[in-house]
Amino acid sequence: MSVQLPLGVQLRDSATFASFHSAHNRQLLTALKETRETCVYFWGKAGTGKSHLLQALCHEKAGEGWRVAYLPLAEPDLMPAMLDDMDQFDLICVDDLHYVAGKKDWEIALFHCYNRIQTRAGRLVISANQAPPSLPIGLPDLASRLGWGLVFQFHELADEDKQAALQLRAQARGLDLSDEVAAYLLRHAPRDMSSLFSLLERLDKASLAAQRKLTIPFVRQFI
Amino acid sequence: MPQSSWDKCLARLEQDLSPQQFNTWIRPLQARFSDRDIILLAPNQFVLDWVKDKYFNNIEALINNYSGSNISVLLDIGSEELVQIPRASSAPNGFVAPSARQATRARRNSSLNPNFTFDTYVEGKSNQLGRAASLQVAENPGHSYNPLMIYGGVGLGKTHLMHAAGNMILHHQPHASVVYLHSERFVAEMVKALQHGTINEFKRYYRSVDALLVDDIQFFAGKEQSQEEFFHTFNSLMESHHQIIMTCDRYPKEVDGLEERLKSRFGWGLPVTIEPPGLETRVAILKSKASNSGVELSNEVAFFIAKHIRSNIRELEGALRRVMANAQFTNQPITLGFAKEALRDLLVIQDRQLTMDNIQKIVAEYYKIRVADLLSKRRSRSITRPRQIAMSLCKELTSHSLPEIGTAFGGRDHTTVLHACRKVKELKEAELSIDEDFSNLIRILST
Repeated sequence: MSVQLPLGVQLRDSATFASFHSAHNRQLLTALKETRETCVYFWGKAGTGKSHLLQALCHEKAGEGWRVAYLPLAEPDLMPAMLDDMDQFDLICVDDLHYVAGKKDWEIALFHCYNRIQTRAGRLVISANQAPPSLPIGLPDLASRLGWGLVFQFHELADEDKQAALQLRAQARGLDLSDEVAAYLLRHAPRDMSSLFSLLERLDKASLAAQRKLTIPFVRQFI
Repeated sequence: MPQSSWDKCLARLEQDLSPQQFNTWIRPLQARFSDRDIILLAPNQFVLDWVKDKYFNNIEALINNYSGSNISVLLDIGSEELVQIPRASSAPNGFVAPSARQATRARRNSSLNPNFTFDTYVEGKSNQLGRAASLQVAENPGHSYNPLMIYGGVGLGKTHLMHAAGNMILHHQPHASVVYLHSERFVAEMVKALQHGTINEFKRYYRSVDALLVDDIQFFAGKEQSQEEFFHTFNSLMESHHQIIMTCDRYPKEVDGLEERLKSRFGWGLPVTIEPPGLETRVAILKSKASNSGVELSNEVAFFIAKHIRSNIRELEGALRRVMANAQFTNQPITLGFAKEALRDLLVIQDRQLTMDNIQKIVAEYYKIRVADLLSKRRSRSITRPRQIAMSLCKELTSHSLPEIGTAFGGRDHTTVLHACRKVKELKEAELSIDEDFSNLIRILST
């Protein structure tokens, strides 16, 4: 059977607060939107939606006219020179700080960036996989600053919340994902949010190409 | 016309690229328009090179496609000064507008933080001398202690004290030029001045200020040209009796990569050291910070936080902020139970580090002996002192009983532990080095 390829328009899940299921992270969300602190730091496991949240914040603030920048430190080709003059931004989102913990040149660059942002009354939002005291930061000046502002643990979603998050994301894509099928996916597929969302993306494309609805027999082939 | 093409280009890229690519590389670009061209401003060379390499062709093609004509697209480094957006009113649910921002920009010449004053600085035994010296300098700049050098570990309030002095000088002499900057800023501005051929203006500016406040001078280490320029600035200001205040995380003599002549000059004035605050001062700091934020903190909660966060004031403030923010978000009163819950993950980490095993390990490493020596019967002073200090730390930092501590140290009696604690207390008062060792170990164990 030949499969009709969908149109060459990539459907991206736009990273917005509307497509973010906040569940147990409401305090963090409120803090991100309302705080006056220079720095908000939040930490939690990989694949739980931290990057999505940072990108949503960038999206929202840029829409309000803020100058924003997003730095994914897991990206191996980034260099500390990326931070030069970044303090001119109103908001800098630093994702996956743990990737550069212990790297002296990065730590010094981040320390200087922090000081400049503070002087200019800008905002810094940082995500990492551990709480500030547990991160292997070598520069004490930076380490102590990480715990200076607001620190939150990013809570992983419970299974029922994951189901709701998956359905919210499907809805944003204009895709009908029934309770039954969503529950099936959670029972049979890897349950971290990154895997679930990428599965959803594959299912979306496949259902479009096959002109089929998402039913259990249909989704079974993709797990 | 170019603007609408750029807007359409942005919308298209946001759709085509992943949120990560778009937010990292495209969103930070600022566009400057004329009739025939668009200049895209990147914040720095790194971003510019990346965009040029990976996205520029696409951007150019999209813009030309949307404009229907040949608009030239250029890339450059820089930024447009933005018109202030009244954020609070336009975005009721957004971040509260950084209200300090305009004030900060107006104060750009001094860069002093108006909140760091002597009034908001809590005095204790650990910072008494530093506060008194800074106050004198602020009342009589250039003539009492010059330069004033404030030493201390991270997060103990050196910068606060420095700003407090600067703010007071400005209060007495509103037209004085009081400049605060981090040493890294001095280096960066000098590099820029060299690049742009404005080094003479740079020199003139810094040599003409009434008071120069330089933070964290240890970051001058290894930057020879900046040290040379700072040396001349220093001399020039000293000759004209203008005040210099500096902070450093250690004595300049101990900073590797700092020129000898600078080290000796930094020692000319008055060096004051700020030590980590004691329990009562930590409690007073917490109560004062809370009260400044309009929150009444009970003694019970203040003592609880102060007992658990010993490393430095910055982390103490961080813990307090977290408790206050949680209370505000959940609309609950700050009780002891609430504070414990709000700081739970922080305290778990601290408690994990504060086991007797860990204390023994850290103390052994600090004195360069083996843990086995601490537990042995050996009675030479090079072993007994660290052993007594380790026992005393176990008593202070953990909730183990004296017999338990004795058992953990090679099966000793609890009276030995009691003797060790008394001995350490005496030694701390008699010998500065023991007092310092003890504070250092507490800091290492609490960080």
